Amino acid sequence: MNRLFALRNHNSGYFGGYALLTLWALWLCSGSGALAQSAASPSNANAPFSTRVTHLLGLPNTKPNCNGTLSIQDSVLQFQPNGKPGVQVNMASVLNLSLGDETKQVGGLPMKLGKAAAPYGGGRVVSLIAHKKYDTLTLEYVDSNGGVHGAIFQLEKGQGELVRNELVARGVSSSSGEDQPTKQSTSEVTHEDK
Amino acid sequence: MKTSKPSSWTFCVAASITIAVALSVQLAGQTAAVQPSGGSGGSGTQWSLQVERIDPGNLNLAHSFQVAIYENLLEELNKTRQFKQVFRERDSNAGGIPDLLILKTMVVKYTPGSETQRAVTTVSGATKLMVRSQLITRDGKIVFDRTVQGNVRFFGSNLRATHNLARNIAKVIKQSNVATVRASYRDTQTPTLNAAGTQ
Repeated sequence: MNRLFALRNHNSGYFGGYALLTLWALWLCSGSGALAQSAASPSNANAPFSTRVTHLLGLPNTKPNCNGTLSIQDSVLQFQPNGKPGVQVNMASVLNLSLGDETKQVGGLPMKLGKAAAPYGGGRVVSLIAHKKYDTLTLEYVDSNGGVHGAIFQLEKGQGELVRNELVARGVSSSSGEDQPTKQSTSEVTHEDK
Repeated sequence: MKTSKPSSWTFCVAASITIAVALSVQLAGQTAAVQPSGGSGGSGTQWSLQVERIDPGNLNLAHSFQVAIYENLLEELNKTRQFKQVFRERDSNAGGIPDLLILKTMVVKYTPGSETQRAVTTVSGATKLMVRSQLITRDGKIVFDRTVQGNVRFFGSNLRATHNLARNIAKVIKQSNVATVRASYRDTQTPTLNAAGTQ
């Protein structure tokens, strides 16, 4: 042992090793703390929750494809577009909730124009890598007259599960199965007339 | 002599402005007179419509697609101005409306697509939807029955297919002039438009 210490002192590696060990211990503690937080968050039903989403369609007086904040507080789900008044949905009026995922091309119109202008089909190669996966959250709810509304939100990958857990923890019923992703398939799905 | 030229010039300009203003007022009056009759679809009565939620049948259609078709249908049917009011499913206000048609939409065929595949190959990856749309009276008579399709082949996300489908359904309903047919149906008690056609 003494020989070992002597060897480490000789190589000036003892303090470096100790520092590494301390850093590893700190990282382990912070990691386990974060894990405990994420596991505990859905169970805390009264804590406010908010996340950045894109409203795809459905909410009244809200433009499609607008970004905003989806927040859940007490028994109200609120979508607030950037700098505009928000739309509120009461949890009790939510009929159904489902989660899905979607792959979309990124970059919008400028990227499309760039891809179209790229020579030798270079734009197609860019399309292979210029896509991103999103979660979609679909809600069905009723208004004050009983009319059924639907709303679809697009969230960052992985956020959909968190929002769904929050809503389920507050008493919203989730659909039995997952919202089926629109996977590419060569075979057509056909349903004959009933 | 020199002073009379500017005064005649001014008179001409004033006269032309007066004529232009008079014409524009007359045209505006004509437009205002035409607008109210344009929305009725040629019938004396405007019918109301209740849109039901999408029936996916046995197909594995994503819930987001069903909701998107439903919401887009409501928007596009409102745009056509063929109907006096467009109600949502379960809307309590629709209960007291005497002339109400119910729009049922059943998904017949669905081909899932991929935006990435469309962007890379151009020719494949299309998302296709085919639905059967029926307009039904309160007493269960079918006055409109068509199969309509909507798809996205080149640009746009997969949900764009639902928008195209809803637009096509609204277009077909508008072209069929179902309000007039419904009025004649009510008079004769024999439906004249009940053919399952394919667009």
